[in-house]
Amino acid sequence: MQGTCPRCAHDIIEVLFTSPVVGVWEVRQCQQCLYCWRTSEPARRTERDAYPEGFRMTSDDITSAPEVPSVPAQRVIP
Amino acid sequence: MPYDDLRSFLATLDEQGQLLRVTDEVLPEPDVAAAANAVSRMGAAAPALYFDNITGFTSARIAMNVHGSWANHALALGLPKETGTEEQIQEFIRRWDRFPVPPRWRENPPWAQNSLTGSAVDIFQVLPLVRLNDGDGGFYIDKAAVVSRDPDDPENGGKQNVGVYRIQVKGKARLALQPVPMHDIAQHLRKAEERGEDLPVAITIGNDPVISIVAATPMRYDENEYELAGALRGAPAPIATAPLTGLPVPWGSEVVIEGVIEGRKREIEGPFGEFTGHYSGGRRLPVIRVDRISYRTDPVFEHLYLGMPWTEIDYLIAANTCVPLYRQLKADFPEVRAVNAIYTHGLVVIVSTASRYRGFARSVGMRVLSTPHGLGYAATVIVVDADVDPFNLPQVMWALSTKMNPAHDLITISSMPVMELAPQVDTPGVVDKLVIDATSPTHPHGHGNHSSQVRDLPEATQWLARLQKLAAHR
Repeated sequence: MQGTCPRCAHDIIEVLFTSPVVGVWEVRQCQQCLYCWRTSEPARRTERDAYPEGFRMTSDDITSAPEVPSVPAQRVIP
Repeated sequence: MPYDDLRSFLATLDEQGQLLRVTDEVLPEPDVAAAANAVSRMGAAAPALYFDNITGFTSARIAMNVHGSWANHALALGLPKETGTEEQIQEFIRRWDRFPVPPRWRENPPWAQNSLTGSAVDIFQVLPLVRLNDGDGGFYIDKAAVVSRDPDDPENGGKQNVGVYRIQVKGKARLALQPVPMHDIAQHLRKAEERGEDLPVAITIGNDPVISIVAATPMRYDENEYELAGALRGAPAPIATAPLTGLPVPWGSEVVIEGVIEGRKREIEGPFGEFTGHYSGGRRLPVIRVDRISYRTDPVFEHLYLGMPWTEIDYLIAANTCVPLYRQLKADFPEVRAVNAIYTHGLVVIVSTASRYRGFARSVGMRVLSTPHGLGYAATVIVVDADVDPFNLPQVMWALSTKMNPAHDLITISSMPVMELAPQVDTPGVVDKLVIDATSPTHPHGHGNHSSQVRDLPEATQWLARLQKLAAHR
């Protein structure tokens, strides 16, 4: 589906789940930063314009994020 | 009478006036987390919360703040709800002396009633997931017990691990998990990745209350959590075999999720409002592929709100952080009287000890830093005299006020390890640590004037008991 990620402004969004009571809300997910939100949440979590500056994320933030824990070297198992 | 599942404990909380049922319809966000945030401000006797009328869901059941007060923590251990903090910790120490108590295998676990496998796996259909804090990257599972084995020694029950780790839900069958390098599961994952393998895991949600306590206890790598659960319960912990992975899991869980941590893979996760009262940044963490979910009919989703302390997590990791540190210090230094590590999972540790000679208190403080838990957590250690109660913060402040002279009593050690979530660092994972010697100087180093300390009157102890009795019968 089309839309905008509140957090990183990416435009590929998928629906992960819809409310068991039909038509009440959807759980959506950005396919770039993997941010998830429910459509019934407050605007500060669901709308790009209202999403707080401090929580926003760029594609650079994603690729440069530290790896925890780091992947170790492979060893040969005897 | 120990609890074999979450539901029997919720019934006790209800009977004891420690369960608040929210029956009005509430929004999944922000209501559930906001209520749990608020209840944690009700103090040392705050109740647990139970929601079963949540907008958009048909059969959702969420329990929050189950361990979120000293009253609830006492009941989890089978103690009267009025039991004081220090008394609970002393009882915890006494019961640990019974360790190990082997678990008992039991058939027909309730979580075997229903299952989803393969392409039918959908975690959203089983759990009423809700977001906790505004900046969280999504929905989290943060009170599960995660079971894994040492890939190099899979039959060794001691090296098996049951631990609480933060888990982000990233899809119907996809999770992220945070293994802090100091944690046992990080050792399991490292070994699996060195072997080029995935690491099988079982994630159990809605556990009996002692399982949550032992899973949050910083035990030694080769100590078995189920054997501590037996010691704390006073009866063997009931366990069962997870059907896909064969891992031993609690018999009484509401939900058992099985799958693997995919080896050598990292993916963006977070941020998440953490136990430090600060958000972690976004990091690339390991990923879990879910292959099977087993669940009790109408499962109760036990969830935990955490934020600016104190919240439920601070009660869950208070006594069980103090006790292993106390036992490990006491083994080398019998003079140690008590350990208070109840603040922020022991990022600050306060130790009271008698002294053998000059420098002894410093040595005790340094030892804290090299305990298994101290490696990743203890950033500041305060050592006080044996007559100072480390749980009595006015007394600790008195010791700092009158016995600590920065010219002699501060030891800083640079570039020490700390878990990446510590917010105060310049470089994640590395911190300078501080030991404060707030004990009275011992010969031959006698700076200051500590020869004229005022002591409690000999009759004061009896008077305290007498006054408490009077107050109780007012």
